[in-house]
Amino acid sequence: MDRTQWLLTESQLREWVRSLLDAGNSVVAPVEEDGVLLFRPLTSEERAILAPSGKTRWSPKEFLFPRSEPLYRYTLDGGEVEIENPPAPQRPQVLFGVRSCDAGGLLRLDEIFLSGTKDPLYAARRESTTVVSMACAAADPECFCTAVGGSPVGEEGSDLQLVPLEEGWLLRVLTEKGEALFGDVDERWQDAPAAIAKEVEKLERRVAGQIERSPVKQEWSKTLEDGFEHEAWDRLAQHCLGCSVCAYVCPSCSCFDMNHEANAWCGEQCRSWDACTFAIFTHHASGHNPRSTHQERYRQRVLHKFAFKAEDDEPFRCVGCGRCVALCPAGLDIVDTVTAAVAAIREEGADAAR
Amino acid sequence: MPLAEAFPIPNPYQPSLMRIDDFFDETSDVRTLRLRFVDGDEEREFSGWEPGQFGQFTVFGAGESVFALANQPWRPNGNSEDTPIIECTFRAIGKVTHALRDMSEGQVIGFRGPYGNHFPIDDWLGKDLVFIGGGIGMAALRSALLDVIDRKQEFGDVVILNGARSVADMVYTEEMPRWQDVDGVRVVRTVDPGGETEDWDGEVGLLPNVFEGLNLEPDGRIVVACGPPIMLHYLFLSLGKTGYSPEQVVTTLENKMKCGIGHCGRCYVGPFSVCRDGPVVTWAELNELPKDY
Repeated sequence: MDRTQWLLTESQLREWVRSLLDAGNSVVAPVEEDGVLLFRPLTSEERAILAPSGKTRWSPKEFLFPRSEPLYRYTLDGGEVEIENPPAPQRPQVLFGVRSCDAGGLLRLDEIFLSGTKDPLYAARRESTTVVSMACAAADPECFCTAVGGSPVGEEGSDLQLVPLEEGWLLRVLTEKGEALFGDVDERWQDAPAAIAKEVEKLERRVAGQIERSPVKQEWSKTLEDGFEHEAWDRLAQHCLGCSVCAYVCPSCSCFDMNHEANAWCGEQCRSWDACTFAIFTHHASGHNPRSTHQERYRQRVLHKFAFKAEDDEPFRCVGCGRCVALCPAGLDIVDTVTAAVAAIREEGADAAR
Repeated sequence: MPLAEAFPIPNPYQPSLMRIDDFFDETSDVRTLRLRFVDGDEEREFSGWEPGQFGQFTVFGAGESVFALANQPWRPNGNSEDTPIIECTFRAIGKVTHALRDMSEGQVIGFRGPYGNHFPIDDWLGKDLVFIGGGIGMAALRSALLDVIDRKQEFGDVVILNGARSVADMVYTEEMPRWQDVDGVRVVRTVDPGGETEDWDGEVGLLPNVFEGLNLEPDGRIVVACGPPIMLHYLFLSLGKTGYSPEQVVTTLENKMKCGIGHCGRCYVGPFSVCRDGPVVTWAELNELPKDY
């Protein structure tokens, strides 16, 4: 597909958002609520924060994979049971202003929910969702996308991408789904000059340069798996409180729980977010728990992100948004953890070879 | 943009309805249920089933529990049936299983599945087999066991080693004589030391020790074992000591599961999703996985 790109002013951008709302889309964009940046369905284009400082507290994943949702509902009538599906999405959805890392996170969710037996609820929402990402004008202190193979202007997972430049917002169409998002609104838009690519590269270099984290290397996956039982994990995990905020704010964490919420007449099978860092996550009814210590649980989360891959060149399941680093009450840093674990495992290997 | 149709693909979480046809109390807290589909369409969908697979069983209002399919649904009595019957054996131990045990004949529960891989029974043709079940672990073996007994002439000698903590905890006691009656099948029952009664006529000893005492040469023999993690740990030590290779030993991984389709993330052992890639694994495959089960 020929790459279509325009250069938009702020009023043109807001006008476009207005047209998306008028066309019946649910437009989910960063807004400020009580001093916190959050993704919320817009009621007006004026509320959207187009040049946010910092990232949203939560990733946009809840608009595809809600924190809690019914998987089916049932009524109990005498001894008989009637089951019905939950409602499917009623309106197309636009995720607007999603950072590159978070857009990459959505692809990690796709890998889980759309592979093998497809999840119909996720699939229905995904099908009716278009992702408009926003490249980063600046890195936050916790950001490390470049350390895990990403970029502040990464296109992965985006249908359309906005790049904030001095001249205005560059809007690029990346997929056919993205192309389908225009009515006639683009007729008055100005094509971006070919030379704008240089400006994008400059932005990428500048923002990437603000990220001072050394890369997590692909070959570490195997080292981490080989060192599964290494004693360093006891030390590395001892600060973990098991609160699981890391998993809840993570754009790619997708573990969930299922429970019945019911009374004597009706109920639902309810799915809600869960995390491998909780003690009861793997607790068997018999009392046996394969991960009975928080060291084992923390290791599981770290290795699920950076190891346990089907293919060596498979991307990490971490996109480097850094929310887990910024919000961990114990100050744990997943990049420091993998780096230290790999160093400890290799040191032992070197000792053994001597 | 057109919206996705309400449910363009079937909802895998929605269970089929099954009625409790009959039940049998194996022990004071272990029950076997016999279930029939309420709706004829669902029976047809259930055609693809293999021994070793499991299902999610729903008590509406309480939740779901995972049990192995403990029988051959299309040959519930060794005779072909027009409609499948599913049997499952469970211990009342948590919220759902207690609620399930409080139910009686005629009541409706949910079933979804079958899920997971299955025992590679076709690879066992002509070979001598040993089934080793510890406690309720026998339930996971029963489907394969019944299939093998049903087609006994296609296999070599079969030894069934059924172990329990005590005489009162032993499952499938009513039907073991029927298994024993088949030519070339030998049933050995054992209880842990201290679990015997005065009139107990089986073995007394831990399963791995009793297995060693049987002196079954490893030569080409397949061992199919299921039981609590601690039993399997010592059983594998015994198998190694007596010359069995990890490729000859088949077991099932029993992890906490919720979704059954590889999505919820609960049953992972390293990269291995027990519900999707398992539950049946060889000891050799188990050795490749991190010790996280």
